Amino acid sequence: MLSIYRLTLRQLSSPGRVGIMFVLAIMPVVIAAMVLADNDTMSLTEFEQFVLSTMLAGSIVPLVVLAIATSAFGNEIEDRTLANLTLAPIPRWRIAAAKLLASITIAGPLVVLSAVATAHVAFLGEWNATIAVAAGAAAAVVMYASLFVWLGLASAQAVGVGLLYIVLWEGFFAQFVAGVRLLSIRYYAVALMHGLDERRFEVYDHASLAAAIVMTSLVTGGFLLLAIRRLRRMDVP
Amino acid sequence: MTGNGLPGVRPNARETPVIRVDGVSRWFGSVVAVSDVTFDVMPGITGLLGPNGAGKTTLLRMMTGLAKTSRGTVTVFGEAVRDNPPLYRRIGVMSEHETVYGFMKGREFVTMMGRLRGVRDIETAVDRAIEIVDLADAQHRQMSTYSRGMRQRMRLAGTLVHDPELLILDEPLNGADPRQRVHFKHLLETLAAEGRTIVLSSHILEEVEQLADTVLLVVNGKLAASGGFRAIRAALNQRPYHVRVLCDSPRKLAAGVVKLDSVDAVHIDPDGAMVVLSRNVLDLQIELPRLAKAENVSLRRMEPLDDSLESVFGYLVET
Amino acid sequence: MTGTVFDIGYQRYTGAREGRSRGRKAVFKDGIRIALGLGRGGRAKILPWFSIAALSGLGLIFALMAGAAKALAGTAQAAKMDLPSHSDYNGVAAVMMFVFAALVGPELLCRDRRDGVIHLYLVRPLTGTDYVASRWAAFLAVMTAAAWVPQIILFLGLSMGDPRPADYLAAHWLDVPRFLAAGLAMSAYTTTLALLVASFTTRRAYASVFLVGLFVITTPFTVGLSQEIEGPVGTWISMFSLTSIPVHVNDLIFGEISEMTDKIPARLLPAWVLVGWWLAWVVVPGMVLWYRYRKLTP
Repeated sequence: MLSIYRLTLRQLSSPGRVGIMFVLAIMPVVIAAMVLADNDTMSLTEFEQFVLSTMLAGSIVPLVVLAIATSAFGNEIEDRTLANLTLAPIPRWRIAAAKLLASITIAGPLVVLSAVATAHVAFLGEWNATIAVAAGAAAAVVMYASLFVWLGLASAQAVGVGLLYIVLWEGFFAQFVAGVRLLSIRYYAVALMHGLDERRFEVYDHASLAAAIVMTSLVTGGFLLLAIRRLRRMDVP
Repeated sequence: MTGNGLPGVRPNARETPVIRVDGVSRWFGSVVAVSDVTFDVMPGITGLLGPNGAGKTTLLRMMTGLAKTSRGTVTVFGEAVRDNPPLYRRIGVMSEHETVYGFMKGREFVTMMGRLRGVRDIETAVDRAIEIVDLADAQHRQMSTYSRGMRQRMRLAGTLVHDPELLILDEPLNGADPRQRVHFKHLLETLAAEGRTIVLSSHILEEVEQLADTVLLVVNGKLAASGGFRAIRAALNQRPYHVRVLCDSPRKLAAGVVKLDSVDAVHIDPDGAMVVLSRNVLDLQIELPRLAKAENVSLRRMEPLDDSLESVFGYLVET
Repeated sequence: MTGTVFDIGYQRYTGAREGRSRGRKAVFKDGIRIALGLGRGGRAKILPWFSIAALSGLGLIFALMAGAAKALAGTAQAAKMDLPSHSDYNGVAAVMMFVFAALVGPELLCRDRRDGVIHLYLVRPLTGTDYVASRWAAFLAVMTAAAWVPQIILFLGLSMGDPRPADYLAAHWLDVPRFLAAGLAMSAYTTTLALLVASFTTRRAYASVFLVGLFVITTPFTVGLSQEIEGPVGTWISMFSLTSIPVHVNDLIFGEISEMTDKIPARLLPAWVLVGWWLAWVVVPGMVLWYRYRKLTP
């Protein structure tokens, strides 16, 4: 498993790609600094909605993870090197888990550091709030990574489907239809953030902390199981 | 241990088939790629041949568990190969796709392949595998800088590093130069002599003819023939053998040869040689010198024109 | 009785050889087929046709809303409502157009370079310029169709939803050249940017995600920053909201500010600045794209 993990880290971490992801991740930090510099701008509610929920959780986290996690299996399938792994005497769950862990290892620090820096700047160094935002971002990374790793294995159009999910499902439909939010990773990531620091953040119409934790586990485990199942059943190119 | 450092295989391996393909079919929508194929693969070298699109690669992929069957079963060493990862400790597979991890050095690639397959003494195994493919000088270079032939050889090293009992190779000689082909042939012969089983798919009929004990000919998804190619040729009794005879008076000899029961037809080719079509070459071999002596004709040479795998392949593909 | 034996062996081609123009046409036609997933199985059609259907559906919804408003409240009352118009459509559909360009654009360039097929094109009487120009033209045709078809649906819906269609047509015929021009501005912009990004990588996934990130992230970032830093500097910063650039041109064509650009300081700049800016974002990326391909040889 370690060999596959290391291989995937090398495959996904070219300097150009990491550089671009870094640029995306730094944007909310800059905005938080700007907001802080001027007292007469958005309220905390607006900041949470715009920067944390829409920009960070709604755009940057899913896009960064999409680019990385869909490539974990997607590049192997495109290059026809997946057989190097599946023709080894390794249980399929180890292959899938290694790919997922590698995706989280690459995307996680970028996103979590961005979240920590954003929150730390915006909330004037208050650690409760910073940890809550970081935990929400980390949960989002883990959930999105498991979804997109599976998608990279299951579909040749993984990026397209992923983009439609992010832009249309979470970005558009979830705004207007309450039920759609229950099937939205972003919703549970933001719920986790709120659940961890209720006294700092205002209460919204969101799931409870317990529900957010349960859903994080279910989503991550569920898509990992789907990836394992897919690996066992698919014709490997 | 054998001369090239590879340990031998267990005895009694010759008794049971290593691979059993039983009533296997595979279709993709309305396209039937493989149709009701049944055969056993025994230790030694088996060549899998067929024209492009015959279903060879699909068959190989099912034999390695990379693709599922639509019908029928494939067992390797008595176990189902599909969804059976532990079996891959005993199998080495080299697919037809030539892509490699370009960012890796050759040695890194072979080491990774060895680790994935649970090799214990990894450094020794990697050294041995790289030495077998004669790439020790290039092992520390990135594979993106390799030529096509070098990539193939390093992939072969990755296939051999865990010392498998069964080797399945799809077009392994692609990109190999003549010297490497000779080297590769010797390697396969050595491995087979140790009791290993090798299944080799190739378009290079001449080499398969020299290497393979058994040939599996696949045409249009069906198994058209199996066995030694000479035995297959003998079984093609609707096709007379073409035998070319060089002598000093071909027309005089032809007048007598045409009367033989074992001869279907005789003609004189543009070079002046006599070509005999016969369904019983053994009989012809006995009668021809007798006739030549009786007619006072000097026989210089007698050679079969279609006693080759290429001819067999051609006849079976045409029908 | 005479007889003839025909030589049916290898025969050379003796017909016309059409040269570069035929090659360009072939690359152009192939580009359209790639963009729409034609001749490539069902799955290749899903994303492009879903996107076109979504855009057309949006136009239809706008038409139905306007028609329903007129039917229920009457034409006079409906005229006072802020009903969706052609200009509003472009503002709302811009995001979908960008996603469409991000998903489909890389298919036209990335694969050929990744699989080495580009060299097969270049051994023909085609240059790198011919190749990239033909691909650009093909994608422009597809994006323009995606921009125009929903607007045509909307126009037909609005005219047929009016109690007096002939009067509506007479009063609004100028909307046709306007939405055609605005659609072309949108498609030229998205086509060029999408292909430029695709020319920098052989992996379609990275190109697509980068494009969406570029479009989706720059807007809140630049708008937020411009609101922070007021005055001319803030206005110029807001010019870098990449999703808004063609929408400003749309606003100028229709003479009304759409909701998408309502809060963007750049909307107040003179027309020649906004059009020039749009042109710069089409021409400069186009030149860079051409430059990257012009020196390619087989």
